[in-house]
Amino acid sequence: MQPETLALVILFSPLAAAVVNGALLRRRGATAASLSVLAAGVSLVAGLFLILTADPFAVSANWLTLGSFSLDLGLLYNPLSALMLFVVVLVGFIIHVFSLGYMNDDPDRGRFFAGMSFFMFSMIGVVLADNLILLFIFWELVGLSSYLLISFYFDRPSAVAAGNKAFIVNRVGDFGFLLGIIWAYWAYGTVNIEALSSLIAADGAILKTGIGLLVFCGAVGKSGQIPLHVWLPDAMEGPTPVSALIHAATMVAAGIYLLCRIGAIMTGDALNVIIWIGAATAIYAGFCALPQKDIKKILAYSTISQLGYMVAAFGLGSKLALLGGDAHATHGAVNGGVAAAMFHLTTHAFFKALLFLGAGSIIHACHHEQNIFNMGGLARKMPVTFVTFSLGFLALIGFPALAGFWSKDAILALAYENGGAVFWVLAFGALLTAAYMTRLWVVAFFGQPKTGNAEQAKENGLVMTLPLIVLAVGAAIGGARSLYPEAFGPILDAVPHPEQGAGLIITVSILAMAIGALGAFFFYKPGAHQDNLQRSMPGLFRFLAARLWFDSFYDWYVAKVQQRFAQFLSFMEQVFISGLMVRGVAGLTGLVGLGARALHTGNIHGYVFWFFFGLVALWLLSVGL
Amino acid sequence: MVVGLEHHLAVSGLLFAIGFFGVLLRRNTLVIYMGLELMLNASTLALVAFSRFNGTMDGNVFVFFIITVAAAEVAVGLAIIVALFRKRQTVQVDQLNALRN
Repeated sequence: MQPETLALVILFSPLAAAVVNGALLRRRGATAASLSVLAAGVSLVAGLFLILTADPFAVSANWLTLGSFSLDLGLLYNPLSALMLFVVVLVGFIIHVFSLGYMNDDPDRGRFFAGMSFFMFSMIGVVLADNLILLFIFWELVGLSSYLLISFYFDRPSAVAAGNKAFIVNRVGDFGFLLGIIWAYWAYGTVNIEALSSLIAADGAILKTGIGLLVFCGAVGKSGQIPLHVWLPDAMEGPTPVSALIHAATMVAAGIYLLCRIGAIMTGDALNVIIWIGAATAIYAGFCALPQKDIKKILAYSTISQLGYMVAAFGLGSKLALLGGDAHATHGAVNGGVAAAMFHLTTHAFFKALLFLGAGSIIHACHHEQNIFNMGGLARKMPVTFVTFSLGFLALIGFPALAGFWSKDAILALAYENGGAVFWVLAFGALLTAAYMTRLWVVAFFGQPKTGNAEQAKENGLVMTLPLIVLAVGAAIGGARSLYPEAFGPILDAVPHPEQGAGLIITVSILAMAIGALGAFFFYKPGAHQDNLQRSMPGLFRFLAARLWFDSFYDWYVAKVQQRFAQFLSFMEQVFISGLMVRGVAGLTGLVGLGARALHTGNIHGYVFWFFFGLVALWLLSVGL
Repeated sequence: MVVGLEHHLAVSGLLFAIGFFGVLLRRNTLVIYMGLELMLNASTLALVAFSRFNGTMDGNVFVFFIITVAAAEVAVGLAIIVALFRKRQTVQVDQLNALRN
């Protein structure tokens, strides 16, 4: 089969499932579930086949032409898209299988699986799109799927509010992204990704910082960087498989993927901004995770933090490439930053999806208990979940030899080579990561069960534990280059390995992890009922829990500034546009009509009078007055 | 005294004015019609006066046209008034008004 056709099969099979589920199978949850899993399976098999056999290709077909502007529908398949596609279809399929078990007793699962399949379609579209406008269309569709799935439990006002928040905050980022696309089109005459790369490779001087930063806005919104990160923790209102797939492994990674895809348009200044936003997000989210009690919120902040790492990695590597280091960029190849970011994205997808599914397994077993201080003792009660979750936890904190260790080290190597404070910032972030994850692990799994729900928890069936095992294997061995297909070669080979200062980097990373983990291990009581930090340092706890007042600031801003401005604009519109201009013109016409009507009295004498009047007027006109 | 052009024109103007105010102020349709005729005749008189005092025949010839037109107009107009009377049983203009005011 032609690679193009294969790519189209991968793209459209989830869409077919989504349409059938949404239109016909809302009541028949079991059929809908099977159909979605089947579609995900088809995408997986076709995807693996494509990755293992096909060479990079690009096809495109013209869709609309308006004057000199033409919008094409096209696919661009290169090693970058191959790697992302691999992550999306594999993790997507595993999570679909998990959802079979997790959503088993939910009467609305037809709608759920319709949403999941629609998401798969949109995400694969983002991965394969060959021009920025098509990518933007799929980007928005991904945002829509996210909204539909976050507000899945739509009878809960908090879920609905979270869905709205996600969509609106994303929209803010997308606005910047769209402006960037328009500017790029205006400046370069094309939005096709390959065409842009070749234009820039030919003449690097045509880059503009503004375009890069605006496109980065899209990534800031989608990947939850500061200041547009506020939607991700709230997005945990959705069912756990949604959190795993969309808000951990794939959708939020779309921002990183965008940066890697179109990275050539970034200038040095834009990259500086990117690096610092990434680093700031990494440690801010780490601080936010520390006081959280809800297991999903901890993992959400962890995701934000890791995305910060990926963004920083992209920025650091691209900056090194831009400054001309030969070790990092050869003509036409992928630079070290892109490689490190994508590698971390891959390993992160495995272990974060694992952690979320593990959390889902726990939540399902404890009858939807999400507060870690109400759990405890789960290591004995749910051994498979415990072992797999622990593997994911160790991978996340960067335990040597597991997947996360390699990818995190690559990022630290880039930071070290760049020089400056970024290295220490990211290392501190690793410390925080170890701290909050160890806290979660210790409180949830050890000690004694704190509530009845935790008491009666037992391991779930194979349909939920098998995905955990598969992902755990990925999290453990996912750092090994040799296990990946040759198709990813150009990217994985470019992943930076620390050269000078290798010893320092490894020492710092292991030390940061050890200090964080051991500190949290001894500070937090196993299976505690109350947060030790809250008990002993309530002031610090409250400060951390305030999360730098981003949400309060946005609430204030929307209520006081934006609403007032909107009301002012509404007033202006009512008075001037609707009032004066629209109704005024209508009113004027009405007045003229009234005047004309007044003449129709049926009184002959009146008519004669007006006749005479008209005569006199015409005479005056002719005389020249 | 010698009757000059100005006297003829004064009479013509006076006739015209009477006819005009008759149209404007009288309520009987037939009287309005008489006023119209009076106005036409006033203009006829003015034309003949001009013709006489300028020594040309132009005015006189034009009078023929006016008389013809007046005759045709009367025929048609009276036919309309008779038809209107048959329909409405009145010739008072204020009672002929079918528009709601």
